[in-house]
Amino acid sequence: MNIQVWFRWLYAALWRIFSGGQPIMNLDQSEMKEYFLDFSVALTGFSKFNLLGTGQADLYYSTIEQNIGNELLQELLQTFHNLDLKAKSANDQSILDKGISFDILDSKKFGAIACNIIKLWYVATWYPIPQTGQDSNSQKPFIVSPQAYPEGLLWSAIGVNPPAAKAPGYGTWSEKPSVTLS
Amino acid sequence: MSQSQTTLKSVDCETVSKTFYDVVIVGAGVAGSIVAKQLSEQGKTVLILEAGTGKSLTLEGFQSHVETFYGAVDKNPNAPYPLNPNALSPTDGANGYFEEKGPLPLSGSYTRVLGGTTMHWEGKTIRMLPEDFELRTRYGHGLDWPISYKDIQPYYRKAEYEIGVSGNTEEQKGLGVTFMDGYVLPMLELPPSYLDQKVSEKIHGTTVEIEGETIKLDLSTFPQGRNSIPNPDYKKYNDGDDFIPQGVGSVEPVEYGERCQGNANCVPICPVQAKYDARKTLNRIAFPERVHILPQAVAYKVEVDPANGRVTAIHYKRYQDKNSPEHTLGIAKGTLFVLATNAVENAKLMLASELPSTSGLMGCHLMDHPFLLAWALMPEVTGTMRGPLVTSGISTFRKGAFRKKQSAFAVDIHNDGWGWSGTGATDVVRDAVDNKHKYGAELRQELISKISRQLLLAFMCELPADPSNRVTIDAQYKDQLGNYRPVIHFDVADYCKNTFAYARKLSQTIFQRLGAEDHTKYDKRDQDGNLDPAYFEYQGESYWFRGGNHFSGTHVMGTTKNNSVVDQNLRSWDHENLYLVGAGSMPSIGSSNTTLTLAALSFKSSEQMLRDLKS
Repeated sequence: MNIQVWFRWLYAALWRIFSGGQPIMNLDQSEMKEYFLDFSVALTGFSKFNLLGTGQADLYYSTIEQNIGNELLQELLQTFHNLDLKAKSANDQSILDKGISFDILDSKKFGAIACNIIKLWYVATWYPIPQTGQDSNSQKPFIVSPQAYPEGLLWSAIGVNPPAAKAPGYGTWSEKPSVTLS
Repeated sequence: MSQSQTTLKSVDCETVSKTFYDVVIVGAGVAGSIVAKQLSEQGKTVLILEAGTGKSLTLEGFQSHVETFYGAVDKNPNAPYPLNPNALSPTDGANGYFEEKGPLPLSGSYTRVLGGTTMHWEGKTIRMLPEDFELRTRYGHGLDWPISYKDIQPYYRKAEYEIGVSGNTEEQKGLGVTFMDGYVLPMLELPPSYLDQKVSEKIHGTTVEIEGETIKLDLSTFPQGRNSIPNPDYKKYNDGDDFIPQGVGSVEPVEYGERCQGNANCVPICPVQAKYDARKTLNRIAFPERVHILPQAVAYKVEVDPANGRVTAIHYKRYQDKNSPEHTLGIAKGTLFVLATNAVENAKLMLASELPSTSGLMGCHLMDHPFLLAWALMPEVTGTMRGPLVTSGISTFRKGAFRKKQSAFAVDIHNDGWGWSGTGATDVVRDAVDNKHKYGAELRQELISKISRQLLLAFMCELPADPSNRVTIDAQYKDQLGNYRPVIHFDVADYCKNTFAYARKLSQTIFQRLGAEDHTKYDKRDQDGNLDPAYFEYQGESYWFRGGNHFSGTHVMGTTKNNSVVDQNLRSWDHENLYLVGAGSMPSIGSSNTTLTLAALSFKSSEQMLRDLKS
């Protein structure tokens, strides 16, 4: 771990201690987007290269921000980032894995949002979250843009084309699938 | 088949009011388009009244349908076609267009846009079997046709050319379909999917018993209205030339389309237009100046001269904005009139015009193919969700003496997984993420495990004509334009339920052979606690079925004006210048999807129209 990263981790840790556990809320947008991409890599199981390749990262980021608010998003991304730094400093991936499971996905505050971020990447759809003030009865899920639908990661994850887009070609359906179970 | 693209003339109400046409057609679907093409080629002037917006005739309009589909959360059979309150399309009960009176729902869908339901059809083009035309005589169920398979055979060939059918006649012969010596379909069969191959490996040669008969569980491909590789042996049926697949259905030619590219989205829209739809027929009309189209014109009354029963005009409501009920009234006049709006809408329009026919059978004998579904996970990854929605199936239960006791059926192997049974790929993602909190590499593996091994068997069952299954109208139920919505009375006879029970057991045998995990469960209520209207119990077991969209029988053909609505050429017995084309004229539908047969009948009917216009 380089010294700069170590200092940032120390700063964040001290801040958490002295602010009563509240994370830092002074991220600029480029930092937030960077954390968002790192967080998305961890959540989706796809590389940053793949995620950027969808061309949808900015749209997804702004969709989330619009729907849950900047503050909550910052808090979530900072929580993730702290876990990431901790895992890296200890050179222990399990810190991040456990953190994502317990501190984020199982958390009342962040769980539904993190799930929504995964679904956004996988099926380009935003689902209403009741605890963020969105009324799930009156609000309906929506596809963030028609162009995002064919970029859903679901289709690459299972080795197929998005139905109605990016056709693989005549007769390809007779061939062995490209995905396997490990 | 010419590659040239033509532009049909969209006209306004004023032009229509000033013109007396040889033929006025209601509906620009496959039946209406074939009639328009056949008659205009013989020098006749044609008007087509289309209830939908007519947008899809241009490439831009077609692309907008693809984009609407991309943006739709619920990717249902009508997802590409924006809701049109002035010409609603039934969509599996979603918009309440059908007033379902039960006891079971008809459900299902059709599409009221230019091109009709061929815009969303799956594209199977299976001929009926010779014995299907004698259902009553041979098996004691439903109705006989007034014509035989031999009578319709030449028209099947015309329909197969028009639609551009890919398939294997040798395989079909083995299943009981007869062809003229040496005949082949225009294009070779679509290659079976990897999933088909894996199913076939394990069940090939298995035999089962049905009512004392032994039947083999062999797979075969389905003929389809989808472009594949032209069959070199078809030349002799095409004046010595190779068959040229029709590429795009939209005007303004572009270099794409032609062969199926495996978009895995035949229903509800093939984005490269490799699948036939009625626009391909409309855009191949050689003399487009003879054919007028008036879109956004919803026919609401067939006007008849009480003195002689002849039709004098079609009355329509023309709207400008699909979301507004504002409209103007118009009248279309001609020598012959053709209703080609599909089985439900044709009957509805006649009943709305107070023309129930002498037999009183208008709207009666409503048929469909109810589907029983069974779903499982294969023991290995089969790469589900690739290729045309269905490439192969088991068609060995289409014929047999068992048809005295239970109905014939055909089995589809769905390449698109469990979507139809309620667990589409998106639902699997939601379950894995929301309920199981899977993420990262583990999520990817979970999706492969739960989607890429999916197998859905769909048992398409014959439901014979029964006069109490019917379309009616009721002044209580109208749309925003003031037109009637169809009131549906529908039930599934024990004859067909016997087949559901047999099919469920057969699916268990098949899954066992495959080593597949059976996940089939017919829940009474959906996840939100709503009662499934298609749920029922039979012989102590629970089932539900899904509508097959093969609506037919509502203006049935027969031998006299007392036992039917139309004659063998689909001409109304009561109104000598009126034709009711489409599957509504079919007395039985066997285990064949209806489009190929109704297309064949449209060619037969067009010949009689030309004879009428000569005299």
